[in-house]
Amino acid sequence: MTTETPIKLGEPNLRWSARAHSVAEIESELSRIWAAQDLTLETDGEVSRHVAARTSVMNLIVVARRPELAERCAATIQALTGRHPSRTVVIQSADPDGPSWLDARIEAHCMLPRPDAPETCAETIHVVCGGESGRHLSAIATPLIIHDLPVTVWWPGEPPFTSPAARDLLAGADRLVVDGSTWGGDGLARLQDMAALQATSRLAISDFALVRQSRWREAIASIFDDPDFLPYLRSLQRIAVTYGTRDETGAYGSTNLVKPIYHVGWLASRLRLSVVKPLAEAPRARPSGGRPAANKPALARGLVATLSDGRGEVGVVVRPVLSTTPSGTTLRVELLAERRGSELRADVTAEAETVHVRVWQDGVETLDRHFRAARRSDVDLLAEAIESGRRDPVAVGALRSAAALVGPGDGAS
Amino acid sequence: MKDLRLARQGRRTSRAKPVENVLREGLRLERVPDPSVVVLFGGTGDLAYRKVIPALYQLWRTNLLPHEFMLLAIGRRPYDDATFRAEIRTALEQHSRVLPLDPEGWGSFAERIAYLRLDFDDPAGFETLAARLDALDAEHGTRGNRLFYLATQPSQFSEIVAYLGRVGLDHETSDGGWRRVVIEKPFGRDLESARKLNRDVGKVFREAQVYRIDHYLGKETVRNLLVFRFGNGIFEPIWNRRYVDHVQITVAESIGIESRGAFYEQTGASRDVLQNHLLQLVSLVAMEPPATFEADALRDEKVKVLTAISSDPADTTRNVVRGQYGPGWVAATQVPGYRQEPDVDPESETETFVAARFMIDDWRWSGVPFYVRTGKRLPKRATEIAIQYREVPHRLFKDEGVEPDANLLAIRIQPDEGIMLRFGAKVPGLGLDVRSVTMDFTYGSAFNVDSPDAYETLILDALQGDASLFTRADEVEEAWSIVDPIIESWVTSPPPNVPDYEAGTWGPAAADELLARDGRRWRRF
Repeated sequence: MTTETPIKLGEPNLRWSARAHSVAEIESELSRIWAAQDLTLETDGEVSRHVAARTSVMNLIVVARRPELAERCAATIQALTGRHPSRTVVIQSADPDGPSWLDARIEAHCMLPRPDAPETCAETIHVVCGGESGRHLSAIATPLIIHDLPVTVWWPGEPPFTSPAARDLLAGADRLVVDGSTWGGDGLARLQDMAALQATSRLAISDFALVRQSRWREAIASIFDDPDFLPYLRSLQRIAVTYGTRDETGAYGSTNLVKPIYHVGWLASRLRLSVVKPLAEAPRARPSGGRPAANKPALARGLVATLSDGRGEVGVVVRPVLSTTPSGTTLRVELLAERRGSELRADVTAEAETVHVRVWQDGVETLDRHFRAARRSDVDLLAEAIESGRRDPVAVGALRSAAALVGPGDGAS
Repeated sequence: MKDLRLARQGRRTSRAKPVENVLREGLRLERVPDPSVVVLFGGTGDLAYRKVIPALYQLWRTNLLPHEFMLLAIGRRPYDDATFRAEIRTALEQHSRVLPLDPEGWGSFAERIAYLRLDFDDPAGFETLAARLDALDAEHGTRGNRLFYLATQPSQFSEIVAYLGRVGLDHETSDGGWRRVVIEKPFGRDLESARKLNRDVGKVFREAQVYRIDHYLGKETVRNLLVFRFGNGIFEPIWNRRYVDHVQITVAESIGIESRGAFYEQTGASRDVLQNHLLQLVSLVAMEPPATFEADALRDEKVKVLTAISSDPADTTRNVVRGQYGPGWVAATQVPGYRQEPDVDPESETETFVAARFMIDDWRWSGVPFYVRTGKRLPKRATEIAIQYREVPHRLFKDEGVEPDANLLAIRIQPDEGIMLRFGAKVPGLGLDVRSVTMDFTYGSAFNVDSPDAYETLILDALQGDASLFTRADEVEEAWSIVDPIIESWVTSPPPNVPDYEAGTWGPAAADELLARDGRRWRRF
């Protein structure tokens, strides 16, 4: 049915809404939307006009296992309706042990950028599946996608990469969007599963955890734009990443490490560094006097690994510090390089709006630069993921190296 | 070959590849320019207020300029930093692409604006400028990187560049401080003056430091033309004389000369649009695929097209039409003729319309005419490239009602940016009627995102040292060598019978005859 809400310029407006209880009914409702001759709107209380164009540049399938996740995703997608018109299918499971059922809400959101512009519309299908049907994601999504348009699967939460349901759904997708920094535990087993999926498929993967770090990458890369510093890039000795944790022990496994590990993965892949020794717990430091403090356990020293460029070894340290920032947030990246007796030390830190780079050459500070780069919202990150075309070689390499750094996987997810 | 032979004989080793910053791979879109100062000559002028400064503000508020950034505006007005900032705020409130102004963004941008009063013909003033730049470097960490933007009268370009050279502001420093100069069109008013300008600039700056800006090349759809041609597999094979009947390029304006009568009297449509925008579009449509998407590879191919345009003087008379608008009606408004406009000679012969038929003598385009036209006070504003394909070799449906038109691919640059493909389809019913239908792609409905202004694109490119979308000296000279004979032929020909088209029409009848002679007609918009 058409809705009679007054139109707002430049914002997605709900222009059609219907319910269905089977995939066939959903398909039928979708046809009805665009066949409806009376799909008109009112502007200024009098002018009536037809919807000018149904617009889709892609299919977006969102797998939201929990209702609150589905709501959050819907809000993000809503903000992108005008920017990236797509057919969106949000799939949410409910009552997995009960009988199979399906309840779908079909909506058309339209946007009128200016009074004199054509109105463009896109559809959202919100499907809640109960019982067994909720486990067959591909069977729900496949009939609902617009053929010949790219398919992006956004899987917030904890995607079970090795499950048959995920395998089937992702087999028909072009791009997978996840946020590795929200995964439970340290997130590294799932990271390895995702790397395995990347290695055995043509799927392009956008991980918000990696995309968020673009401001760090820009800042770190800028150091070596300087011709004086560039030769040191091939003589790296040490990479140290410091991350924040709220766990007073900083114990291995208690904080999501996906973001800190991606920093090392990115550097390793760009510099063609191979893993000699994968990440392992660093020996715990004993407080002076040789005895642990009575009431407060010593913070773990983090993880260490060894990389190699074929000529020499590069030490890796990933260490926690107590911080009020969200756990797993990167606080500092340090690089140490030595070349022909000369030393280059770089220290990169980030705040909400800026990234700060400082460089010392043989102990003398030679660069102090700020980069203006605000942390990005989920809307921006999703937009960037959607806008990406094929596989991004930087992302592919960073994920592959990050997984190798973690060590042989055991398919824990 | 010699190098290879010597290398094989062990007498010469191959040159070592320069070390690259491999961390830059894949980060192109995230790259922030180096710390730098933009030195804007003509800082209180119309171009600065309407285009350059709004573009810089937009780049700043979207974090695309470095933290260590300064805008030093140069002008003759007796402003200080505070009064100039107040002026800029007013200008941005009128001309910023995104309104209302973001108070936080404006506040931090304003802190990075400085003003220097300077007479462009005062050598001592340039010493002051050099000292001020050194002070800005020390205070703001801009590290000696300077982009000199000449948004002044063209007659002042050579003088400013010479003074910059005299005080050593052209010298790139050993610690990596770069110096670049952006020059606004027109690049000369004929071949001779263009060569002189290039020589004057070349005495001070190396060609790699010079960025000649033609804002048309920064427009999203013009850039998309390259993607459309070279990023899609299906169009390039049919982009040649075997399939294309002819090409039409139209740059139509509904406005008159506004308040630029004195300027336009000296310029006319040929210098204002044909020599730059139109010939740039011709070269982008006709060029061969470059080996890489790098500035010189791209510009080499464009120059080849311009070089291949036939410049037989006899062709000039026959293949070029000029016109001038008289009074008429545009968009339901009565408008005066060109000769009645302010600051225009009542007996002026200046052309406000020009149409031309160019032939490109190369393997790809031999025998395919390129018809171009531009004019003021035409019925509507429209810029379009139309690739008209040949008729089918055998007209199978000639007895079945209306024959479909030949296929047409139209690339609309403004307004309603998009691409349209026309083809024949059967009309539903029992008969076999064939009609032309269109597949229409509009940017507005596929990407509901605001495109950056051309100035934002180009200024960011200049700050990053990417000259792909800027015009090289030889391109400018080749374009003038096409347009100069046209203008010269008018000097020796009898006075034109102008005005010869009514405002609100599609130009003089002779423009239609230019195509009618070949059995073709202009597209109607």
